[in-house]
Order: sequence, then structure tokens, then C-alpha cells
Amino acid sequence: MIVQVVYCTHQTTGLDVREKLAFSSTDQLARAYRRLRADFPRSDVVLLSTCNRVELYTVQEDPQDAPTPEQLARFLSEFHHVPQDQFLSDLLRQTGRDAVRHLFQVVSSLDSMVLGEPQIVNQVKEAYRVAIDNEACGVLTNALFQGAIRVSKRVRSETRLAEGRVSIASVAVGEFAKSIFDRFDDKRVLVLGAGEMAEETLRYLQAEGARHITVVNRSFDRAARLAAEFGAVPRPLDDLDDCLAEADLIVSATGAGLPVVDAERFGRIRARSGEKPVFVLDLGAPRDFAPAVGHLDENVFLYDIDHLRTTCERNRVARAQEIEKARAIIDEEADRFMHDVYHQATGPIIKRLRDEWHDVRAEEVDRLFAKLAHLDERDRREIERAIERIINKLLHPPLEALRDEARSGTPHGLMDALKRLFGIGD
Amino acid sequence: MENVTVVCFLASYAVALALELVRLVKRVPVRRAVMLLFAAAGFVAHTTYLVVRSRQTELPPLLSSTQDWMLVLAWLALVFYLVLTLVDRDLAVGLFLLPLVLVLIGASYFVSGEPNALVAGSNGAGAAEGVVRRWALLHAALLVFGIGGVMLGFVSSLMYLVQHRRLKQQQTLLAGLQLPSLERLARLNWWAVIVSVPLLTLGMGTGIGLALYSRRAFATVSLADPVIVANGVLWLVMVAFFVWLLRTERPAGKQVAWLTIWAFGFLVLTLFGTELLPTWHAAAKEISVRE
Repeated sequence: MIVQVVYCTHQTTGLDVREKLAFSSTDQLARAYRRLRADFPRSDVVLLSTCNRVELYTVQEDPQDAPTPEQLARFLSEFHHVPQDQFLSDLLRQTGRDAVRHLFQVVSSLDSMVLGEPQIVNQVKEAYRVAIDNEACGVLTNALFQGAIRVSKRVRSETRLAEGRVSIASVAVGEFAKSIFDRFDDKRVLVLGAGEMAEETLRYLQAEGARHITVVNRSFDRAARLAAEFGAVPRPLDDLDDCLAEADLIVSATGAGLPVVDAERFGRIRARSGEKPVFVLDLGAPRDFAPAVGHLDENVFLYDIDHLRTTCERNRVARAQEIEKARAIIDEEADRFMHDVYHQATGPIIKRLRDEWHDVRAEEVDRLFAKLAHLDERDRREIERAIERIINKLLHPPLEALRDEARSGTPHGLMDALKRLFGIGD
Repeated sequence: MENVTVVCFLASYAVALALELVRLVKRVPVRRAVMLLFAAAGFVAHTTYLVVRSRQTELPPLLSSTQDWMLVLAWLALVFYLVLTLVDRDLAVGLFLLPLVLVLIGASYFVSGEPNALVAGSNGAGAAEGVVRRWALLHAALLVFGIGGVMLGFVSSLMYLVQHRRLKQQQTLLAGLQLPSLERLARLNWWAVIVSVPLLTLGMGTGIGLALYSRRAFATVSLADPVIVANGVLWLVMVAFFVWLLRTERPAGKQVAWLTIWAFGFLVLTLFGTELLPTWHAAAKEISVRE
């Protein structure tokens, strides 16, 4: 089996590129999976697309079937109509244990911009679920992603990564909004979108004292459900301009493929609302607010995900000890996972080899005892044990070699050699 | 006590400012305690100096001389700094207030240290001198507190502009440069202007009253005195700013900050410019000497 991940993240690639490569809707993901299944029929594929990353995981039984990074880059380029030269140098690749370790780091939020953020677990779960729905997953992918979710639980319970400011909203509000506004209970808050990020933001803002919250979403029902949970007011998308004009804090986290608010539209809104200070936090990838919105006047303060990088980096340094603990857990779990995977691959060979040799032993012992009928029970047992020991000693070197090889990957060559040498059929 | 000099507290405040600057570079565990110790030591020396000066001239510090009331202004700024720093340990207000304190103390070297002759010569004399002394004290106190208010507005405006620039450029908080929110700074600035303009107005009013009374009593003061004219212009500027602030429903914070800075600049020019001109106070002094 070979696990591979080709990816770009906030650490290597700017939001301007990430948003072009993002898979922002279920429809888009379904089309992508159809295309991937057609191009790489013998590969399991999982697409993970969040505001911080775009990652393609592929898993194959046979390394020959693995799509090359170039093929995956071509897929991204053709699917999103983005020339490869815009992102090729930013694409990274990991294989085998490193790929497993990468996924475990991602799901444990070690690779997230905001260390300890809980959303990534659900984002990974959702990506996995969508892959299953699109019939892109097999047994190995299931084992990999279920293992990843188990690891994230372990990291959360055995380290203190999940303590403190662990959401993007909390970092952005703590770092920027609190430097603009003294308090939030007298401010009008607009949350654009009704997904998990919007929910997380609402939870945080409410804890910070926000009382006048409006939720606007393309689906009014979803907006109403979310608003009801937090005592907010749902408004239809048609009222967006009014809501934007009234708001002091705007948090946007939609899955829209294009900017929802461009500079011209927001300029008209500002003409109505006056130049009061407004904090706009755009958590969308692709971004919901055109960057030019931030330059409209002196009192529009626009922030997107990448503006929070320095703060997040500072938090990361402050929690280096917890990161080390989490990394130790991840390394251990990655080793265990790889061991289990390779053991699963070599297990049938070992079993068949043992079974065949023991069958031969049993056959020959029976034949011998039939000829030597005068042997008593004690002698027979001694002979059986001696032959058993001989077989075990003869089997030990090849099986030990197989186990050794399996520590660094599926030993396809050795397994083939054993099959041929000992006549083990498929 | 008589050995306390301006250099004593100037040096203490300079060390406190240096320690404030250290916060921008690295976190030093005892920095804050040592910084507060130096600031407090300077404050004690500063207070002692003003008390000694007041005893020597037998006048309140505000009336002793231009030099003394500048030191009083610096003293007020220091009180503000100490209170804010003790209340909020992270607030970097010292980076803005302490340089102003140092500039005020430094500038006091270049202005007259002679006691104000108009009131110096009226120690407990007749009824007219007593009235002059009381009015002069009120006049000086109102002006100093008014100028203190503008100074506070100036500092809050500087902090506003620094904070605004950081937020607009999406820069993260610089370690050690924790500033109040724009909303709070704008509010502080608004109140500083709103409070200081009436104080300056009353200061101007009492000054004119004092001038008229002095002219009647001593026939020495002219309303065309450069000090009165310059302060009158300053007052008009501040009143215009005041009216604009009250009339504008939601004034842009950055605009208010810049206007406050300009107003403060004009105030500084007026105060120091008039020091170079032949003034009512100088004339009064000459009269006093002639008598």
C-alpha cells in the first residue's frame, strides 16, 4: 500500500492562490471526485479543502497505481482553470509514513494556523464523509481516516493544545477587534454564513458580550436554525446591504466561490452608513470580501485568514512544550498505523507459509509413524517436537526478514520472492 | 530638601523612559518594578522641588514663574502616567507621556524662572493686590488645567494614530506596545477637548478680567498685549474645534486626532512664541521694579 498526499497550506501558499484551488461546494467536490475516479480508477482519494489548506490524499494497494504529483497538479490546474505555474512551486508531497504523519498533524490542528482549533476535526470528518458519498474510499482509506480521528482525540485529551484562544474568530477578535472597540454589547454584529465556522464565531462573540447579532445566509432556514441557537436574528440574503450598513462587526464565513461583497457594493453601503468604524473579518476561502473593500475609507478594517498568521505564530511559540508532546503522540501513532498496515499486508503470506509447512510436517510425520509402528507415545511426541523445531528454525530467517522489511513499507519484492521460492499461490 | 534640583527628577524620568523602551525589545521580569521605582522617585523629587520653590517665592507653584507652571504641567502628566501604569500593567502609555514630560521639563530651562512680578509684588499688601493675587491664581490654574487637557488630547491622539495605522495595515500587536482601543482613545480625546476648551475659555476670561482690573489698579496692562492677543487666537481656534466636535454627529476619529495634534502644536507655538515677545507680565515686572 502507498499513502500519498499532495497539498498546499497557509504555511507555504498565500490565500490568493489557495482560494483559487479551493473546493468550496458539495457540487464542486462531486465533480472533482468524478474526474479523479475517471483519471485514477485504482486509487482511493480524499479531498480536504479548508481555509488553511487544499490537500489530495491518495491510497493504493500497488505503488504502480499511484498518481504522480505532476498528474495531480494537472488535475488541479485543469479543474480550476488555474495555470500550473501559479501554484506548482507551492505544492508539497509526502508519501508513506510521512503522509500518515502529515494527516495526523493536520487533524490534531498542529498544522493549523490556530493551534488547537477544534474545527479541523470536523472538516476532516466531513471531507472523509464526502469521499465515501462519492465512492472514492476503500478499506485502507477508512483505516487511515478513522485512525486520524482517533489520534486527534488522543492529542486533545493528553495535551493542553485545546486550551486558550483556539478559534480563528477568537484570535482575530482578540488581536484586532478589541483594538478597535472597547466593548461588544452595544455593537451590531453581522455573521454572514451558517456553517461551522460561523457557529464557532457566534459562540465566541456571544461569550465576549455581543448582544445584537444578525445571521444572514443563502439558505434562510439554516440562518434561522443557527440564529435560534444563539438568540440572534436571522435575515434573508436580500437584506444583506441593510445588514452590512447597520453592522459594526462583520464576520463572513460562506462557502461562496466568488466574493460576495465587492468594493463598489460596499462603497454604496458606506455612503449610507457613514464612516463609522467597521471591523470585517473574512474567514472565507475564497474570500467573501474583495480586498479593495479595506481601502474604501479610513474606518474600514478588513482582515482575512492570512492577516492572522503572525499572531498565530506567536501563540505557537508560547506553546512549544505542548506541541512537542503532541508530536510525540503523532509519531507513535504513525508508527503504529504503518506497522498495522504492513502487518496486514504480510500477515496472509506468513500464515500461508506456516500453514503449508505444517501441513507438510503433519503429512510426513503421519507417514513416518505408519512405518514405525513400534514407537511408543513418548517417542512419537519427541519426534514431533524435533520436526516442529526444525520447521520453526527454517522458517525463522525468511519471516524475520519479512517483518524487518515491513517496518519501512509493504515489502512487495520480498513477498513475491517468498511466494515463488516456497510455491505459495495467490 | 533644598538640594533637590530639576536634574534629579529629569534623570529619573529619563531612566523610566529608557525602561519603557526596553519593553519593545524584550521582556525583562523586573523591568516594570524598576521603572515604577524610578518614576516614583522622580515624582517625589519633582513634588519636593515645586514645594521648595513655592516656599522660597512665597507663591503657589502656578504663580511663581512660567518655568514653574511648566513643571506643574509635567507633574500633572506624571500623575496621569503613574495612575494609568498602576491600573493597567500592559498599557504602553509611558512611551507617549514620558517624552512629553521630559520635553516640558527640558523646555522649562529656556523660559523665565523669575517669579511673576504682578503677584510677587502683591504679597499680602492692600486689598487690590489681594484681589489680583486670587484672580491670577484662578487664571493660571484654569489655563494650566486647560493646557493639560489639550496635552492629554495630544497624547491620546498620538496613540490613536499609532493604533489606527497598525490596524489599517493589519499588523499584529507589537510585543510591549499595548494601546487602548480606538473607541476608548477617541472618547478620551473627545472629552479632553470638550473639557479643556471651557477651562481655556474661563482662563482667558479671568485673564481679561485681571488685565482690566490691573489696568484700573496699576495702569500697566494693555489688551493689545501680545500674550493676550496670541492666547485669544489660540482660544478662538480651540473654540472652533470645540464647536465642530459638538456639531459633528459622528466625527471621524482620525480626523479628530489630527486636529487635536494641530491644536496642540498651535498651543505650543503660542506659549513659546509669546515668551519671546515683550509681554504684559514683563511690563508688570518692570512696573513692580520701578515701584
